[in-house]
Amino acid sequence: MSVVREKHDLQSSKILSQVENPTVITPEDVLHLTKITDTYLCDPDANIYDIDFTRFKIRDLESGAVLFEIAKPIPENTDEGSEKNQESEDPIDPNSGRFVRYQFTPQFLKLKTVGATVEFTVGSKPVNRFRMIERHFFRDKLLKTFDFEFGFCIPYSKNTCEHIYEFPTLPSDLVKEMIAAPFETRSDSFYFVDDHLIMHNKADYAYNGGMSLQAT
Amino acid sequence: MGFLKVLKKIKQKEKEMRILMLGLDNAGKTTILKRFNGEPIDTISPTLGFNIKTLEHRDFKLNMWDVGGQKSLRSYWRNYFECTDGLIWVVDSADRRRLEDCRSELHVLLKEERLIGATLLVFANKQDLPGACTSEEIKELLELDKIKTHHWNIVWCSAVSGDNLLKGIDWLIDDIACRIFTQD
Repeated sequence: MSVVREKHDLQSSKILSQVENPTVITPEDVLHLTKITDTYLCDPDANIYDIDFTRFKIRDLESGAVLFEIAKPIPENTDEGSEKNQESEDPIDPNSGRFVRYQFTPQFLKLKTVGATVEFTVGSKPVNRFRMIERHFFRDKLLKTFDFEFGFCIPYSKNTCEHIYEFPTLPSDLVKEMIAAPFETRSDSFYFVDDHLIMHNKADYAYNGGMSLQAT
Repeated sequence: MGFLKVLKKIKQKEKEMRILMLGLDNAGKTTILKRFNGEPIDTISPTLGFNIKTLEHRDFKLNMWDVGGQKSLRSYWRNYFECTDGLIWVVDSADRRRLEDCRSELHVLLKEERLIGATLLVFANKQDLPGACTSEEIKELLELDKIKTHHWNIVWCSAVSGDNLLKGIDWLIDDIACRIFTQD
């Protein structure tokens, strides 16, 4: 395990050196990455617009079933009774909320059309040219790139965006490998405002849900 | 092959359209968007920003934008005009009291330079409600016949039942396709 870790760190520095000026990450830079980054390419406090992702949802358009949904609790409901909870709060991890783990069953890879929704809120400043670039890899193989410009976001707004897309048809060998290697399918989501990287989130995915351990 | 021709070819290949849906608050924009995309419509609250859907429909890649219609949000609409191929103006046909407001907001929009090239579809929504104006009445009240600057059409619909949504959107797509995608 430690050997693997070391290898990752080496690759991580290689990635950063691919980027001309590591302190300024551009959309072009992340579009040229050939694998998942090992580090977050910006600090949590780069998000000077208070953009907050409040919901992720994935649904199957054929059946209408919601396959995955995670939402932040609404702050208004946590006024009085929540003080008790705050005392026993875990130490704050600066990277919490930047990472989502998805666990699916093998059937997920057989879906035809899925809709992926994000919901986010914006702080007091207007946001110009808000752009999302998302890169999905299995190991070092690029599966899919999303590149979408939301454009302008209204101050104090709550917004949603659903991408409805045909699931890429993957060769059956690859599907088998992805099922057998949980969490080696991973994604980086980069968010830019006026071409400045302000947020970087990560996710990983397993497709072996509901399978017995003996089968692997 | 000239540069313009190359550009046209690229756009033709991707067949991407940007559709902007506007109208007064409570007109039913979000319900139309959700209904059209097969999502449940039982928990819709006022839109305090935008809802976007990107989808494929009839081999076109549609980017549909629904921006909140409350008065305080209307001054932000212009931030969404750029590159719009189709404008859907949604009308609450049962809200007779605000049809004058609805008319004037629409005609202000149509003067916008950045919307000059956009096809206009007016959805006379909420036809399922008793007392709703017919699309013929809406056409009169919104003075649609005065519009000479845009291709336009009015289609009655009910976002709740889904009736006629497809008909309206297909008309819009056909009109846009005729204008921007050259036929070989």
